[in-house]
Amino acid sequence: MSAKVITVTSGKGGVGKTTISANLATALAMLGKRVVAIDADIGLRNLDVVMGLENRIVYDLVDVVEGRCRLRQAMIKDKRQPELYLIPAAQTRDKMAVSPSDMILVCDQLRPEIDYILIDSPAGIERGFRNAIAPADQVLVVTNPEVSSVRDADRIIGLIEAEEKGPAHLIINRLKPEMVARGDMLSIADVLDILAIPLIGIIPEDENILVSTNQGMPLVMSSTNGVSASQAFRNVALRLTGQDVPFMDFSQKPGLRGWLKNLIGGR
Amino acid sequence: MTHRTETGISIKGIRDGLLVTLGDGEYADVLVRLDAELAEKQEFLQGSRIALAVGQRPLQRQQLSEIQQLFARHRLLLWTVLADADDTKTAARELELATRLPGSQTDLDGKQLQTPLPDRQPAPTPIGTGALLLKETLRSGRAVYHEGAIIILGDVNPGAEVIAAGDVIVWGRLRGLVHAGALGDETAVICALDLNPTQLRIADQIAIPPETRRRKSEPEQAVIRDGQITAEAWHSR
Repeated sequence: MSAKVITVTSGKGGVGKTTISANLATALAMLGKRVVAIDADIGLRNLDVVMGLENRIVYDLVDVVEGRCRLRQAMIKDKRQPELYLIPAAQTRDKMAVSPSDMILVCDQLRPEIDYILIDSPAGIERGFRNAIAPADQVLVVTNPEVSSVRDADRIIGLIEAEEKGPAHLIINRLKPEMVARGDMLSIADVLDILAIPLIGIIPEDENILVSTNQGMPLVMSSTNGVSASQAFRNVALRLTGQDVPFMDFSQKPGLRGWLKNLIGGR
Repeated sequence: MTHRTETGISIKGIRDGLLVTLGDGEYADVLVRLDAELAEKQEFLQGSRIALAVGQRPLQRQQLSEIQQLFARHRLLLWTVLADADDTKTAARELELATRLPGSQTDLDGKQLQTPLPDRQPAPTPIGTGALLLKETLRSGRAVYHEGAIIILGDVNPGAEVIAAGDVIVWGRLRGLVHAGALGDETAVICALDLNPTQLRIADQIAIPPETRRRKSEPEQAVIRDGQITAEAWHSR
């Protein structure tokens, strides 16, 4: 058994990297995989908060790298998924505390025992980003359907290709089908036209994300089906395991009605 | 309780079980003596966790494994090996044994841990008997270390760390992480006007507030009682 290392990155901040990392890690664990999520955002850590594990942190990634603890001691077991672990970032240090080769070493130590390692990258194109992609076998680029995040995604895809980590896979996050229909939001086709990389997920805007983030419980653990963000995360997880899952239908008529119905009555 | 026999093997009660120290002599002899010693005291020792101090004696992985099995035959769990020799430590780690006692202030190789220095923080002004007074709110990412007591006139937000060798007093809301008695003082206390931390540590104890904890906005203090960190209402004595 040898783990696949997947890095979630975006260039622009606030597009949903951490939410997607937490949900994909959880979804993969729910499929029975052994998963370790690593927060590479040293100094601005969030993944622990989103996963509801903040109060269990004793050691972090920097402690591992600087030899203050063994790797095992920094792996926080998830509250709900028995095969899910988090290696948190340090909050009181900065990106320079870890080097790309440290990240490769940590992942290589984990590989024999783990199925998937998910790395949550910080925003930006500097050291933190290079740390996050150094050990990656696959890179997921997150973008929102608006021009500035697509612009940054394009830049980051170029950097990933330059590091020979391509082809990156694209996740379009926070899609609002009704806005696309009105022509107020970039459509999936518009985004793909610019970025021209394989699509691996489309996550619809879903206000339950906010609720689950504040509760520290990834949304995939709640059982909404149909056209929902939760189902979209599960689909991406299945695609990561190699399954061929068709994309959800976001088309307007009669899709919108079904989608709205799901939003209102589905939970 | 220390029990040293004529065999040179000592058995001592420690907080996490028993500390067994091997005496001098040939490895094979020591093994035989240990076996006899354990057989004699089997009923008394049964089920204990064992920390084994081997001192300078170099032991191969295979020898450690033999000792581990010997303990197992007496229904004792060997979980840590305290050795001076690096090779012995490496061998112990290969057998997934610990090489130090929990809460000790040394790293995995037995070297004294350095107290991390505050980086890029302005030097705080110490007052009185080694206490540190900070008149500000500590936001996420701030870390304060001090080899004495720390008094904060302000809040400690989630993501901030306060680590003190002595007591920690927060004249404000404590929502982040506080470690009092960080060098091992179990009598250290943590008090706050509103005690609602992410995590508290006193000496080598760690506590997470229960999720169902009702919110009290009265001054509280956290202390170690019966080996556990307990929060209680603050009463002046």
